Amino acid sequence: MMAEPLIFTTKGNVPVSSLAYSVDWTVTDDFIKLTETYRDSAGEVVRESAHVKQLKGVEIFSAAGSF
Amino acid sequence: MANTQSFCTSAKVDCLLAIVPNANTLKAALYLASATYNAATTAYSATGEVSGTNYTAGGVTITHATAATSSGTTAYWTPTASFAWTTVTLSTSFDAVLIYDSSRSNAAVSVHTFGATTVTAGNFTLTMPTNDATNGLVRIA
Repeated sequence: MMAEPLIFTTKGNVPVSSLAYSVDWTVTDDFIKLTETYRDSAGEVVRESAHVKQLKGVEIFSAAGSF
Repeated sequence: MANTQSFCTSAKVDCLLAIVPNANTLKAALYLASATYNAATTAYSATGEVSGTNYTAGGVTITHATAATSSGTTAYWTPTASFAWTTVTLSTSFDAVLIYDSSRSNAAVSVHTFGATTVTAGNFTLTMPTNDATNGLVRIA
């Protein structure tokens, strides 16, 4: 028999199946962000992670002057 | 043929190599959305830095395996594929990371923003852009 998978939350390790899982995506020209949220039966956020993919860094434009 | 006034690409690479020498230790620290880190930032500071469970002031050391290089007339540099904070709780909204050189008096290198974020008993991962002349983390065009 397989043990029920647990996940670490603000309330300790709890069964994943007891939580509501949702994701939110933020997409811009500079980054994409995935936010994962786990809520308990009362709707309280007990675990939230975020993962950001930077799409572009910063750029410096050079200019050479003339004499 | 004609001569063309230019900032030589090799010098652009030298600039990046001087700012982020391969032997130096780079770090990444997270800042609250209420902080004001920007182009005027000169060095790491704990002011406005996030705090919370499992977050260490000063941030994390980032792998610095790829030296600055160039393509066409653009020099570019990206330090590593990703870095992360695991099982942290950062309840106050944060939206920026400062990359700085702890081997050079914590000199600031760059600030990058990613929108207001909180983390609760979870992980925060930052994945760097593709290391090329169009997307690299720091580019001199």
